[in-house]
Amino acid sequence: MSDIVALFALFVLITIAVGGAVEDENRLKSLSLAWVIFLLISFPTLSSEWARMTSELIDDENDSHYGLPDIWEGKQVVCFHFPDDHAPDGYDGARYHIDSDGTQFMTDSDWNHTGACIGGFSNFENGLELMDEAVTASGGDFAYNSTQYTFGLQINSIAGVNPCDASTCSDTSGAYWSLFHNGQMAMVGISDLTLKADSVITWSIETW
Amino acid sequence: MFDAHAVTIGTHGMLLINAAMLCLVGWALWKAERRLESGSDWILLLMLCVFAVSGRVLLDPIPNVQPVTIIVLLAGIHYGAPRAIALATAVTLCSNLILGHGLWSLYQAVGWSAVGVAGALLSSRLLVDGKLNIERLAMVAAASGFAFDWIVSISALHSMGSELLLPYMVAGLPFDLLHAAGNVAFAAWLANPLSEIMTKHLDTSSPMAVNDSVSSTL
Repeated sequence: MSDIVALFALFVLITIAVGGAVEDENRLKSLSLAWVIFLLISFPTLSSEWARMTSELIDDENDSHYGLPDIWEGKQVVCFHFPDDHAPDGYDGARYHIDSDGTQFMTDSDWNHTGACIGGFSNFENGLELMDEAVTASGGDFAYNSTQYTFGLQINSIAGVNPCDASTCSDTSGAYWSLFHNGQMAMVGISDLTLKADSVITWSIETW
Repeated sequence: MFDAHAVTIGTHGMLLINAAMLCLVGWALWKAERRLESGSDWILLLMLCVFAVSGRVLLDPIPNVQPVTIIVLLAGIHYGAPRAIALATAVTLCSNLILGHGLWSLYQAVGWSAVGVAGALLSSRLLVDGKLNIERLAMVAAASGFAFDWIVSISALHSMGSELLLPYMVAGLPFDLLHAAGNVAFAAWLANPLSEIMTKHLDTSSPMAVNDSVSSTL
């Protein structure tokens, strides 16, 4: 939103500057040229910012992107869901949406999970590479701690949240960070997960 | 063997080449027009079609900036609705044979035809004493950019529900804005010379198209 306001202010400034510097006869020629050049240069910012402002949440429950912004349709997404009262600072009470460039642009307070989704990625083939990129895009807010085992990578904590901090763990019960791929529990670990072009991977705490 | 065409040209380089080619086409058509006898309105329409198609194809890398809208609008003003519709449809078909022909072609043809009809309807306000009012033309051209894009957006109803049409159109506003700005620039730079040429080739032996009533000629 702030980018749109800044672009509009710049547009007005350019109009005043160019319009004032040229005589009446050539004013429209100069102004129109300046407008087209300005719009072409600012178009990537303008269009992406506008798309974020006007995007809506996908309401088709059969869509793997259900509940996510429609501008991420066909793109890859990583979601981190936290139990109530255990979301990291700034991510409680709703699900927050962060674009691949790190811009937070949409909040869904009606969603039944707390946390964030980071999306808009493409061309990632491996789950761990996508997750690392998502963590980077979040500015490290969802940095994770992991242990490498012979069978693969185990995620111990995400954003400093350890599953046993959020659930009761004992000799007969426990909790762990569980990985879902397009709504289904993943059969392999994150480091071995092969992605699709529109994969949505979700981390949430499950108990046993 | 020489591989003389194995040159990698970036997006900007390609755009420069396209701009140079458009200038070449424009210059050649302008020189050819000089040799035409006055009143060669159909030949001029054909030449305008060539320029509009070339402009649309060559400026394709720039989103929504092309000279078709202003050319069709001027054709409507000078030659009336029927010939503007013929020009709009021919330009759409010819350019889409290169850019991609499909269901959208019909909506584009209707959209540009509507621009031509608007030009014919507003001709008495835009062409005063044989001279174009550029400020008014620029405003109509800007509005035509939005109108054309919204007409073409209706084609999306073939693949999505009507409740999504408004969000779809709102999402496309940056593209509409660029179309409108491009039209204003083409109006400012091209309208006067094109209008002079079009006026020169009005067939004065028949009732002037400008004076044709749109309703009776459609």
